[in-house]
Amino acid sequence: MTIVEEHVFPVGREELWAVLHDAQQMAKWIPGCERLEEIAPDRYAATLKVGVASIKGSYTGVVEILDKHFPDHYTLAVEGRATPGFVKGTAKLELSAMSDGRTKLVVNGDAQVGGLIASVGQRFLAGIARQMTQQLLKNIEKEVLEVAR
Amino acid sequence: MKPAPFEYFAPRTVPEALALLQEHGDDAKILAGGQSLVPMMNFRLVRPKVLVDINHVEGLSYIRESDGRLLIGAMTRHRDVERSALVERLNGLLFNSVRYIGHGAIRARGTVGGSIVHADPTAELPLMLAALDGEVRVIGPAGARTIKWDEFFLTYFTTSIESSEICEEVVIPVLPRDASWGFEEFTHRQGDFAIVGVAAVVQVDAARRCTAARLAVAGVGPTPVRIQAAEQFLAGQSLTPPVLAEAASLVSGAVQPESDLHASGAFRRDLAGTMAVRALRGAVRRLEQQERS
Repeated sequence: MTIVEEHVFPVGREELWAVLHDAQQMAKWIPGCERLEEIAPDRYAATLKVGVASIKGSYTGVVEILDKHFPDHYTLAVEGRATPGFVKGTAKLELSAMSDGRTKLVVNGDAQVGGLIASVGQRFLAGIARQMTQQLLKNIEKEVLEVAR
Repeated sequence: MKPAPFEYFAPRTVPEALALLQEHGDDAKILAGGQSLVPMMNFRLVRPKVLVDINHVEGLSYIRESDGRLLIGAMTRHRDVERSALVERLNGLLFNSVRYIGHGAIRARGTVGGSIVHADPTAELPLMLAALDGEVRVIGPAGARTIKWDEFFLTYFTTSIESSEICEEVVIPVLPRDASWGFEEFTHRQGDFAIVGVAAVVQVDAARRCTAARLAVAGVGPTPVRIQAAEQFLAGQSLTPPVLAEAASLVSGAVQPESDLHASGAFRRDLAGTMAVRALRGAVRRLEQQERS
């Protein structure tokens, strides 16, 4: 399952990178993130509460920053397990400077969902993954605006 | 499979049910017909701590006509709608679509309010609310309020009803006298959730020219949607085969469904157009039958 979404932010690449790379701020923009603790450089233990309506799972696992090229792109890898199943995914975040000083962020996500939630929720997984990606971009925007203020 | 343990309450009145929801907050789930909730509980995907069973609450099961609208109590079973002469006479589209819900056993137990509040994006009743401009009446600690369908369905399985509120009634306008309708859905097996469903309502003048059209599609996004581009195009047109085909291509052009194991996004898009043209043809056929009889 691949999801591509993009958004333009009213800040330069370096400023956007800072929001994308700071552990405290990551905890705010990763959808459903309840806990994010650094266990090694660029590696975090995480608890994520994700799902839809009353079908929510509390996933515990690891969030990792890979393949880091300041300030062009990095890959966010997430792996988590919960009662209803598992989630494993990567999101490549690409930052490109625009001529007007703003920055375009393209999120290239690839996720695998398995276990009970995948068999029962098949019909909606792609749509929900897209909504979560859009939510992520909205969260980042909120953080960016807060930092800029 | 068995559900995780839960506490069970069976209130007899709406105020009692509301008090239980107030007391237990997000830990509580309402049990109506249980045709979606109970399987999910048995899978343990949903684990409510408290179940508020409203099957014994008086006065929530009825079908009435008032002021050009059908008022359907939230605990009315699908089967009662399917067998209602009143619904058949006043809203043929609703009457005919209900038999597409699951299977006989599901319709015997499943409720109108339950299906609406569950908000499965491919289910028939949410699609009917969209096609017929329906409303949902809910009651909560602050009193009752009526919510239009497009403000009620928010996304997958999510509505604007608060966890302290109960769906009391579904309000569906009677079809106008000059209206005809069509309904089509595509499923892999009979009784399955639809891959794509389309409901069409067309109103026509004496010359059988379309004066107003409504086209609603389910299975192409997080909630059912109306295709305004196609509706506006149809208004003022004679409902000839090329016009219907053009309307269908506007439907396909307006939706961007996701891909999954059941069907690719491109196939769903194509289906939306095909189901739309069939639904519109059905509406035209019904008009011709009316004229003959």
